[in-house]
Order: sequence, then C-alpha cells, then structure tokens
Amino acid sequence: MNVRDVALVGGTTTKFGIRPSTWAELAQEIGAALFREMPELRTEDVDSFFLGAAEPERFAFQSHVAPFAAEQMGLRPHRIIQRTELACASGQSAIRSAYAAIASGLSDVAVAVGVEKMNLPSMAEANASMACVMDRAWDGPHGATAPPFFAMVAQRHQLEYGTTDEQMAAVSEKNHRFANSNPEAQFYEKKFSRDKLLRLPIVAPPLRLGDCSSMTDGAAAVVLVAADLARRYTDRPAWVRGTGQYSNFHNLANAGSLTEWTGLRHAAREAFDRAGIGADQVDFAEVHDCFTISEIIEYEMFGWAAPGKGGQFAADGQGDLGGKLVVNPRGGLLGCGHPLGATGVAQAVEVHRQFTAATPAARAVPDPEWALVHNLSGSANVHSVMIYQRGGAA
Amino acid sequence: MSAETRPRRPVSNLATPLPEPTPAPTPAPPPTPLTREKRPFLLDFFPLETADQTRLSRFFERLKEGVVSTTRCPKDDLLLWPPRTACPLCHGETLEWVDLPGRGHLYAFSAVLGGAPLGMESEVPFAVGLVDLEGAPLRLFGRIEGRPWNELHIGQPVRLESYDIGDGRWFYRFRTEV
Repeated sequence: MNVRDVALVGGTTTKFGIRPSTWAELAQEIGAALFREMPELRTEDVDSFFLGAAEPERFAFQSHVAPFAAEQMGLRPHRIIQRTELACASGQSAIRSAYAAIASGLSDVAVAVGVEKMNLPSMAEANASMACVMDRAWDGPHGATAPPFFAMVAQRHQLEYGTTDEQMAAVSEKNHRFANSNPEAQFYEKKFSRDKLLRLPIVAPPLRLGDCSSMTDGAAAVVLVAADLARRYTDRPAWVRGTGQYSNFHNLANAGSLTEWTGLRHAAREAFDRAGIGADQVDFAEVHDCFTISEIIEYEMFGWAAPGKGGQFAADGQGDLGGKLVVNPRGGLLGCGHPLGATGVAQAVEVHRQFTAATPAARAVPDPEWALVHNLSGSANVHSVMIYQRGGAA
Repeated sequence: MSAETRPRRPVSNLATPLPEPTPAPTPAPPPTPLTREKRPFLLDFFPLETADQTRLSRFFERLKEGVVSTTRCPKDDLLLWPPRTACPLCHGETLEWVDLPGRGHLYAFSAVLGGAPLGMESEVPFAVGLVDLEGAPLRLFGRIEGRPWNELHIGQPVRLESYDIGDGRWFYRFRTEV
C-alpha cells in the first residue's frame, strides 16, 4: 500500500493553568489562537477533525465533544470527525489518527486538537474522575489514583537500582526551569530549586508535590497536511517519520514489573524502525513526565540511559541542554501542567516551535533534526510514540 | 507490531499452574461501621454485586463468607484476576471458581496523603499496596489496613479480608499480620 508523507505544518496552545474558562471557552480560545497563528489556514481547507479529550463527560458533563468543539472553533469537517480518548495520551491519539487519515489518502488537511478542563469547584470529584482511568470496579474502591501507583513504581526503582529522591528532584528542577521560559506553562513564574523541591510536602510516599504533574486546564491544536500541500502553510514542515504504540495490561494486578516498561520498549522499537533511525539520533524529546520517576524510566526504556541508570542520567544533566539529548524543553508535564487531552498536542506544538527556531534561547535545542514525542497513559499500561524530522529550508 | 512479537499470553505472571486452594482465611472482622454516604452510581467506585447486574455475583457471595475467590480457565490452566466471564487466551466461557490463598507479602506500597477521590477524603491517610499472594501466581492491588503507611515495609506479611461496605455490599482489602 502506498503511504503518503505527512507534515505537521503549525500549531499553538492556550495558556495552561487554573483557568476561569469553561470547556467550550477553551475550545473557542484555541480555535481563535490557531487561526491567528496560521493566517494562511482557511476553515474550508480543514476536511477532518480529531479531538483528543480524556474525560469531558466527567469534567464538563459533555459527550459528543468532537462536533461540539468543531462548532466552537468554527470548523465544518466533511471527511472525518471524531474524538480520540486514551486518557493521558488522548492528544497524541488525535495526531496519530490525523496522520493515519492523511497517509491513507482519506484526508488532506486535518486539525488535531486537545481540550481538557480539570479544575472544578469540587476537586474530590475531579480526583474521582481521574481514578476512573484505572479499573474502577476492582482497583478504584481501594483508592487507586495515579500518585500512589507511580509512587510504588518509584519505591521499586529506588529499591532495585538505588535511585534517590535527589535524582528525582533533578528531573523536576530541569523541567520547571524550562517552563520558566514558556509563558504558556502553568508554572511559568514559579521557581523551584532542588532544595525547595525536596522540602515540598509528600503526596504519596516517596513522591513529593514537585514529583507530580498538576490538574490543569488548557487546549492545544496542530495542523497536519499531505506532503504536496505542506508548502502552502510553511517552509519548515515537521515530517512524521515514525510512530508506534503498545498496550499490554490494564488492571494493576497484571502490570508485572513496575520498573521495566516492556510496552514502551515495543512502541519505541516500532517507531524507530519506521523512522529508520536509532535512539542516539534523537536531538530532543518531549516525554511523558507525569511523575519524575516516569521520565527516569523513560530514559532507560528509550535506550538513552543504561538499565537502572536513569536517576544518574538525570542527576548528571544528560537530559538537559548540553547533555546527551534535550528532554522536555517545553517544560514537561511537571512544568506546564497536564490537561490530559491537550498535553500530547502541546508536545507536538513544541516540536514545531523548536524546528522553526521559535523558542527562547533558554530552551532552544541547537539545530535539531530529529524529535521524539512520547505519552504513557493510565498506569503506564499504554505507550504512544511519534518521531518527527525537520524539513525545509535549513 | 507484528503478530510474532506479541506475547501470546496476556501476562507472564499467570503462567504457572494453579496450586490447590488453601483453607479459607480467618473469619471476617466485625463489619466496618457505615461511614460512606450514599452516592449516585456514577460516583461510586464499588461495583454492583447482585445477580441481576453481574454474572460474577458468586464472587461477592463468597466475600460475605470471608473468602476472596476468582476465576480460572481449566483449558489453559490460567488463573485470572480480576474474575472474568471469558478467558483472554482461548476465549472460552466455561471458567471455574477457585478460592484464593488468604496470605501474601507486600511487593510495593504507598499511601494517599491528599487528593483522595470523592467519598474517600475522610479515610486519608490510607495505605495501598501490591501483594504477592502466597502459593498463587497473582499480585493483587488493595488497601492495606492494620498499620500506618510509615510502619510498613516491603515483604510485610498481610492477609486478605472481606468487609461490609455499609449498604449490603461487600469488598476485600488487606490487613497486616499481627
């Protein structure tokens, strides 16, 4: 089968944070921002629309959200319109679906959007909604939410490999520092030293507040087009070169090892093979640091750090500017906040911005060619990976 | 991902043979006093337990007798958690019920010190953990009662217990061994 080349040609995000805006207002805001950012994009160009939203039924009591969001954004998709839901990876799912639609010839110009509204008057209700991501009838009644699960992951990594709280704080310090150069980040104006991070309250031992990403409101959008249309929108397309995904369990009883994420190894292998590159060729990566320990294990599973050495990799600054590769220059989920459906789309926006040299120097990756985006979802039971190559007038 | 590289068995830790069921654990402690307010179904984590709602009602009936059980596929010799109505390996629907061993050891644990879901706020702080059952190839997640989280350790002996959640339904949890 012939697969068409697909380019990501632009995108933007709203401010992430605790926003005095409804779900619908966030959708309108990202629509306005997208068409402001890309004046060459006309609403009638957009034939397909993919909306990443994890829990609008819970957080906004709204179903059938794809046409709901399309109306907010002034879009009338006429080929494919659908919502993608994959919990924390809902946004990347929207982009992967747009990629598949264009590659197959079903779509020529697709918009992939992520919207999530998480801050509600009752945060206990929001926490209950987050717990539904787990197996709610069997894990939920025990109080299974993300923090205690990833805390157990951290506990096992500390036991098996000697990873320390200080190494986890190094991840958080880096990502919060990058967020200080990203005005759209939730923690743009908040400074976190390692010492300060190590004094924050414990949320789920051993994880402290600074080890955990936040409940965040926000939206993001990107535009993907078939290769022959890319020049209409940009001279610096980001080519989708590879993608992979893997799901191997759901109930926590079936997780197996907490520190060896085999699903991520499989998804990464598939993505690298399709792109025809190796892990060492990645110049920067936007990976899923929902918790500091996640980024540490991801260093290992992608092959950037040796098994068990992810903590040392972080402490040595190997994921920082000047290190082996730059990880989470956008500020990560830790620094930007984590509006579930919007996160994966905002990561792709960062790829476009880095490729077009549109970021401040404090987080600018020098002359990047290859970028990787990763999301895990749920209890790290699904992993989604995309690989982009910079094209155009370099 | 090609079919060859996908593991045929959904999870490797279920692959060893099922041991003989061990005797029922000690009788359930006195029912917990009713502390949960009645919540709408869609804000209530506890499953519906009766035979008009689930084909797994036997699990909950057995819980009332103090025993945590699950289903097993005799064809594949596969112990399944949570209990199911169809085998994920052969897709056969003739599964059998087996009682689980009542004892195990903590493989990992943490605690919820804040940010609890609706209805659990008054239970904070509470400990949760993954428990390797003694004599069965299962690692179950659950609430850990008995000792505060900062007195737990990996390898800690715990036992399964069932409890009345206060509205006629029963559930299970772990308690540290004395």
